[in-house]
Amino acid sequence: MLGNRPFELKTVRHYLAPGLMMLVAVSLIPLAHPALSLLCFLAGSVSFLTIRWLHAEIRKALDQKCVLDAQLIQSQKLASIGELSSGIAHEINNPLAIIGQEVEWIRHVAKEIEAGSGLTIADMQDSVQEITRQVERCRDITHKLLDFARKKEPLIQAVDLNKLIEDMVRLVEREAKQHGIAIERHYGQNVPPVRTDGPLVRQVVLNILNNATYAIQKEGVITVTTKESEDGSADIVISDTGSGIPKEDLNKIFDPFFTTKPPGKGTGLGLSICHGIISRLGGTIAVESEVGRGTMFSIRLPGAKT
Amino acid sequence: MEDFRVLVVDDELDFLETIVKRFKRRKIRADGVSSGREALALLEQEHFDVVILDVRMPGMDGIETLKEIKRKRPLMEVILLTGHASVESGMQGMQLGAFDYVMKPAEFEELLEKVQQAYERKSLHEEKIRESKIIV
Amino acid sequence: MSELKPRVLIVDDEERFRMTLSKLLKVKGLDVKALGSAREALEELTDARYDVILLDVKMPEMDGVQALAEIKKRDPQLEVIMLTGHASVDVAVEIMRLGGYEYLLKPCPIEDLMDKIDAAFERKKAREERRKRVGGQAAEGGR
Ligand SMILES: Nc1ncnc2c1ncn2[C@@H]1O[C@H](COP(=O)(O)OP(=O)(O)OP(=O)(O)O)[C@@H](O)[C@H]1O
Ligand SMILES: [Mg+2]
Repeated sequence: MLGNRPFELKTVRHYLAPGLMMLVAVSLIPLAHPALSLLCFLAGSVSFLTIRWLHAEIRKALDQKCVLDAQLIQSQKLASIGELSSGIAHEINNPLAIIGQEVEWIRHVAKEIEAGSGLTIADMQDSVQEITRQVERCRDITHKLLDFARKKEPLIQAVDLNKLIEDMVRLVEREAKQHGIAIERHYGQNVPPVRTDGPLVRQVVLNILNNATYAIQKEGVITVTTKESEDGSADIVISDTGSGIPKEDLNKIFDPFFTTKPPGKGTGLGLSICHGIISRLGGTIAVESEVGRGTMFSIRLPGAKT
Repeated sequence: MEDFRVLVVDDELDFLETIVKRFKRRKIRADGVSSGREALALLEQEHFDVVILDVRMPGMDGIETLKEIKRKRPLMEVILLTGHASVESGMQGMQLGAFDYVMKPAEFEELLEKVQQAYERKSLHEEKIRESKIIV
Repeated sequence: MSELKPRVLIVDDEERFRMTLSKLLKVKGLDVKALGSAREALEELTDARYDVILLDVKMPEMDGVQALAEIKKRDPQLEVIMLTGHASVDVAVEIMRLGGYEYLLKPCPIEDLMDKIDAAFERKKAREERRKRVGGQAAEGGR
């Protein structure tokens, strides 16, 4: 999309310069010699026509650009739909494959029972439970996807950011402690109330804290920092002393379905949902990481009132 | 601003009574029920603005109840209450559109503040919908 | 059937999938072993003989396509059936290029999988027969 912008500017400038020059020339002529008024009138008409023509050209160029933009957006949309659907297909087909096999096994056991081989209904129990588990897994994926697609319109309220974060930290802290994980707070003293969507920000903070505890597994520190930046936006920084993220994965972690958790344990939608929320709130989210040392997520939220 | 209705849902009857009483003392209209099913039944019949919902309840738990409430009344704001913090249910709750999460024992002042914010959000939401209807 | 049973190796990081699949294949009379990663599989293949490998495409660390390349490098005669949760043209092309024998989309009926395993086994036996007849000269040009 950005590629089109220079084209637009160049086009306008290209037509604008001669038009302006002609206008200046035309307005100077009567001053130089009053007798040239007829010529002046002619020149005026010419410049009027030129401007009309210019206008039409610019319109045409802009229309063209709109078409190009629309095409580009559409093709980007298609590409991401393609990517998304292959992700969904994969994530849903795996549990479906397991369900299919368990059904097959139940059929086998049923046949054996009929044949009186000594197997009983109890031999199906485990398979039935597994099917329930896998259905749950599919449901988790589809629900998160719906959440992702629903694009909830943010509702903007004044939010005490430190308080919001502290609530989420306390929610995570007890389980974290059990794994030997300490949470350090560095809340900025004068972080002003932020105008944002509280529930959405809570969801983001909780997701990132949860990822951090998962990355640490056992024994480590999560540090939560808030501060006001010069331009009036608020910064939230959450860092951990966990596993870190390999360089080659860094640009994939916000992609839907990217996960390094074992099958069935993570949907890989957490961070892509976070990214979607923060962009909708007009903010940014960035990551820095080093394998073996830890990871740092920085979120910048606009709308801090000073 | 004070003219809104709160429904408290908790199977711990002592807690339920105290909270409802405290709301009423502040002239906030509050009712209490002790299960998810009762809550859903009451919401069918009467108008409420904010629901305070215990996560751990026998039978239909808080998360299930939240799901149903959001399905039937998408604009309802729900604050979750929990005795022991569980990250799992917290994530689920926020994802399902809960407004906030309060840990027991909850300080009443804190709960009150959250209820007020939740109500403000609901009003904003309704206003927004009204506006968009006018434009259309 | 008096012939030998095919020896099958399942490689899939999804534990429940490989466990139940090996139970099902054993019930059908096959000789089965199941492993959870490509690395374990390559280790296993250094000192055990298998006829058919069922290989999951998407696995962490070494994925199925990488593993396929390594397997084919060591033993081009080995029959490999790739399993995957989604059909991507890129991956399919890569598999064909590496000489993967079959490509199966999860979920699939067990009968389809059995057919593919039988076919792969037949193919392997036929190839060994032919090689015996020719007397081991002229290593077949691919397929
Ligand atoms: N703090 C972190 N430290 C190390 N790796 C991380 C961290 N946060 C995210 N990641 C990496 O990014 C991946 C994607 O994260 P995301 O939250 O989107 O999904 P997930 O946590 O794997 O699954 P889910 O959120 O559904 O449980 C993780 O699997 C992990 O590899
Ligand atoms: Mg996550």
